[in-house]
This record gives sequence, structure tokens and C-alpha cells, in this order.
Amino acid sequence: MGEFYLGVDIGSLTVKVVLINTSGEIIGSGVKRAGFKGIEYATELRGRLLDEAGIALDQIVATVATGYGRLNFPADKEVSEISCQAKGIAHLFPDVKTIIDIGGQDSKVIKLGLNGRIIDFNMNDKCAAGTGRFLEVMAHALEIKVEEIGALALLATEVSSISSTCTVFAESEVISHIAQGSSLEGIVAGICQSVAERVYALARRINPEPVILLTGGVALNEGVVKAVSKKFAANILVPPLPQITAALGAALAAKSISED
Amino acid sequence: MSKNKQAAKGYLPLDTTKKLKSTMGKHYLLARYHKYWGRPLNKKVAWVTSGFPVEILRAFNVFPVYPENYGAVCGTARVSTELCKEAESAGYLQDLCSYARSNIGSITRKDLAPAGGLPKPDFIAICNNICGTVLKWYESLARIYNVPMFIIDTPFIVDRVEEHHVQYVLDQFKNLISELEQFTGRQFDLAKLERIISYSDESIKLWQEIRSLCKTKPSPLNIPDMFLHLAPIVSLRGTAEAVNYYKTFRGEVLTRVKNGVAAVPGEKYRLLWDNIAIWYKLFAFFKMFTERKASFVVDTYSGGWAMDLYLGNPLESLAETYTAIFLNRSVEFRAQQIVELIGEYQVDGFVMHSNRSCKPYSLVQEEVRRIVTKQTGIPGVLIEADMADSRAYSEEQVRTRVQAFMETLEII
Repeated sequence: MGEFYLGVDIGSLTVKVVLINTSGEIIGSGVKRAGFKGIEYATELRGRLLDEAGIALDQIVATVATGYGRLNFPADKEVSEISCQAKGIAHLFPDVKTIIDIGGQDSKVIKLGLNGRIIDFNMNDKCAAGTGRFLEVMAHALEIKVEEIGALALLATEVSSISSTCTVFAESEVISHIAQGSSLEGIVAGICQSVAERVYALARRINPEPVILLTGGVALNEGVVKAVSKKFAANILVPPLPQITAALGAALAAKSISED
Repeated sequence: MSKNKQAAKGYLPLDTTKKLKSTMGKHYLLARYHKYWGRPLNKKVAWVTSGFPVEILRAFNVFPVYPENYGAVCGTARVSTELCKEAESAGYLQDLCSYARSNIGSITRKDLAPAGGLPKPDFIAICNNICGTVLKWYESLARIYNVPMFIIDTPFIVDRVEEHHVQYVLDQFKNLISELEQFTGRQFDLAKLERIISYSDESIKLWQEIRSLCKTKPSPLNIPDMFLHLAPIVSLRGTAEAVNYYKTFRGEVLTRVKNGVAAVPGEKYRLLWDNIAIWYKLFAFFKMFTERKASFVVDTYSGGWAMDLYLGNPLESLAETYTAIFLNRSVEFRAQQIVELIGEYQVDGFVMHSNRSCKPYSLVQEEVRRIVTKQTGIPGVLIEADMADSRAYSEEQVRTRVQAFMETLEII
């Protein structure tokens, strides 16, 4: 009978669950859109992971919860997503110095020192500009799926710039671009550029250093990845499963608290 | 000491709080009924900024009330947001200082205003050493009440206070005195001013001593205590009552130090606070730290009233003191001040409240944070909120930042 650790990340848009073994290897992971039912879905995902791996619930030695829903999930400890993100990335990519995390309703930049220690971090203020929600609102205005943004942006031959930092005003700007007959690809590229500019402003306060890595659901969007690397004038690393890295960090935190 | 009180606050309550309530209660009661007792004595009511040389006004037997302190009272009573909305309906922008909006809103919303609002002023007294907003805010007040307004303009101090700065302010003091002689119909009495200054001096020294006692490990006070017990030094500065008050307060703090009593039991981390309190969340906010055994042992805000009163000719000394106020100083001065406090109080980390209302305090914080961390290696975090308008406070955002910051300290 092996021992396992669980990390649960209940975000504003999605729930992520990661199961690891005593060597810190990922046994299984899952992502589900959450909305109101974060805790219910997290429990459901946990059940699925356990079933798939053929593991019993009592083999989970410890659970750590993170993300906006962390306070209400029954866990051994709750840890902020900033610490979890740092822990997850330091485990996967020890050379990374700067993490840019763009989630559903917030974006953050974390600077790492030796052994994944957080040197500094910065988060967006009470404003959803440049986050996953921002992209969803824009996709809605353009009548496309949010998943299509990335591929469309890469086809753009020119960029229609979005100057407003406010999601609501940016939406009006997108609509006026449509009215002026700008190409869909160009507008989409402009939206990605606006996300990159927003996150760049956030990052500059803490003096970002390479290697730079992008995580969070928005990292799945190639258009944003391209715009961010252009803005930072650097190669941007993206983990294979960018949504689950904070949940992985939570699982690793569960492992360290049981070892203490 | 009630266990319930401790549970609500998350740390050890002070006995002196009872005296605080009675002292400030009496002040606001006197303010409320001033027309019955003050008018017959020809004691004028002045609405005064916190950094005004109130000693001069007291020498003319003036009864000063402080809209800023009153803003804090409204914030703590959690009525500021409604009062702010009232001011906004009257045309004042949401970007304006929330003390200003609370104060202006309280003029028309007597039903919400704590202590029934402030008594109608006979005149307005402003010193712009704390910010530029007070000029326009108090100008509005003078217009609303149709009363005269006296202004002391202090030059911004880029490096050090120079002779010509003091002279410029001193000339205005002399002018103010002759205007007050006319306005109040009283003769200026230098001996009386000296007596008032000595009361100010004594309460400032007591305040400095109380702050210094927090250098002790563990700290006898947590910073919300300083925020609350600051009220008398703002509102009653220059009176024997303030001196007596701080003697009592010092007594209790000394006893704690002697017995090794910690404000936050099991104190593990010592923190520094920068900027005005988040009044409507005072204990709830600091509880996030006390739960992790972190005590705020020092701050820059309550230090604003621990200024040194310069020696020499009383008026010159006042001119220098009120010009040298820290909010009227450069980024370098502000950073250096925090660097020194970190050393003196053996601080592990610092928390800056980026206060939407207070631009001069908040504008340079990111730069100050960078300088301080570079010089000391001590980490600092910026929390975005507002001192009185709760609409600018986002619970989850704040919690995540605070928690992540504390986790970085815990790992070290």
C-alpha cells in the first residue's frame, strides 16, 4: 500500500487536482470548469483520479488546498496560490527565475531565488484586465470561442491595438474595431497584446529575470504566449500542463507538511 | 481582561482603552454641545487639519476639532462609505480622499454622523504640510459654512530643513497671530503659548517613549493599539488632559514590559506598518497576522506625532517642527526612516498599505519598498485598500497577498 499526497487548486474559473507519490511524481491530474461548484467538482475530480490510479482515499496522507476556494475545502492545510505556484515550478523547472501566472481573475508575477524561495511577488489590483476573464469577455464580443483566440492571433498580419486597460471599455473598443472593418485576426492579436502589456507592467515592478515561465489557463493561448515573449523580448517557457502547476505545488506542500 | 475581547481582536486588550473611550467621548460630547457652553465663553470653534500648529489656536482660547480624526471615527464606526456616497451625490469625486468625503457627507447626513457630526465652525485652519488635498477640501468647508479660512503654507522639504524654510513659515505665524487677535478679540499671550507648547512637548515625549517601549521583545503593543490611542495626541495636543492620558497609557505599557507580557502571545515575527490604518477592518485585518504570531511593533503613521519639538524661541520651534513633518519630505527621507526603524525595532518584514485616499503617503511607496528591501534585505508587501471607504477593499485579494507574504517569512 503506497502513500500519496493531494493538491487541490480551486480557482475562480476552474478546479485543478494533482495526485503525487512519495517521490513527488505526478500520478494523475485533472482540470474542470468550476463556477459555483468548486468544492463539489474538486471532490469529484479527486474520486476520478483515485479510481483511475486504483488508490483508496485513506492512502492520501495529506491534502493541501490553494486558490480562491482554499478556505472551504476540507484539507490539512491551506496555502496561498503564490507559494504553491512557486513550489510547483521550482520542482519542475529549477532554473526558472520569474513566473508569470495568468489565471481566471488575477494575474501575478513571482520572482524566485535559490531552491524556489520567493524573493518578491506582485499581483494585479482589483481589476480583471489582462486575465482569463478578460479574454472570455473579448471572445464573447467577437462571437468566437475563447480557445480559438490563440490560433487566430497567430494568423494576424496587422495588430489592432486595444488601449484601454478596463475590461468593459476594452470591449467597447473591440466593438468599434469591428465597426471600422478591422480583421478578426488583427483584433484578436490586439487583445493578446493588451494582456501582454498589462502583465509586463506588473512584472517590471519586481525586475523580472530570465528564465521566464508562463503558467495558468491563459498560457494555453499561443497568441498570448507570442505577445508576452515579444513584450519581454525573451523566450517564454510554458509547462506542458500550465493549469495544474499550483495544484502540483499544493501536493508537494502536502508532502512536506507530512514529512515535518 | 475579558477573554471574549481578546478573541475578537486576536490579541491582548489594553485596560487604558476604557480611559480612551471616556477621554475621546468627553471631547466629542464637548464638541457636540459647544454652542451651549462655548459660545457664552466666546470660545471659537475651528476645524483644523492634523498638521496645523494647534498650539497657536489654543493660545487664543479656540476649541479645535479635527475632521481627519473624525474621518477615522466614521471609518471605525463603518459609516464612512455611506457618508462618502452622500458627498459623491453632491458632486465630489470618488477619487477624493475618503476623510474629506466622510466629513463633507456628515454635514448633511446628521442621522448617520457619529456624535451628531462636528459643531459648526467659526473658522477653518489649514496647514498643507500633510497634503495638498486639505486646501481644496477645507476651502469647500469654508464656502459651505461661509466662515473665514486661515492657511499656513509649508514648503516641501526636498533634502533638509533650511533657515529660509523656517523663516517663511514663521512670517506666516506672525501674520496668523495678528489676524487671530482681530478675529477673536483677544490679545496674544506668549506665556500662555509657552505653557501650551510645554503640554504638547510632554505628550509628544510620552508618545515617543511608548513607541520606544515596543523595541522590547516581545512587543508590549500591536500597532492597532497605537492607531487607536493616537486620538488624544491628535485631538487634545497641547492640553493637560493629553499629558495625563499618556501617563496612564505609559504606565500600562511599562508594566507589560516589566512582566515580559506580549501583545501577541508567542510573538514569532516582528513587522512594520506603513500608512494610515484600514479603519473599518482594523482588527479583522490584523487578525490575519496575529493568527500567525506576527506582531506589528512599529509604524510610520503614529510616528507622525512623535516629531521632535525643536528648542528655542517658541514660535520658531513650532515653525520648524511643523515644516519637518515626514509627509512633507522626500522619497529618500521616507525610505531612510523605515530603514532605521527596521534596525531599531528588529523588524522581520514590512507591510505597506497603498491607501487610495492618501496620495502623498502612497504615491512613492513602491519606490520606498524597493530602496528599503535593497538596503536591508527585509521583504515588504504592498496591500491595496483605503483608510475609510470600504468599497476599495477586496477581501480575497488582500488575504492572498497577506498569506503569501507571511508564507515567505515562515519559510525563512
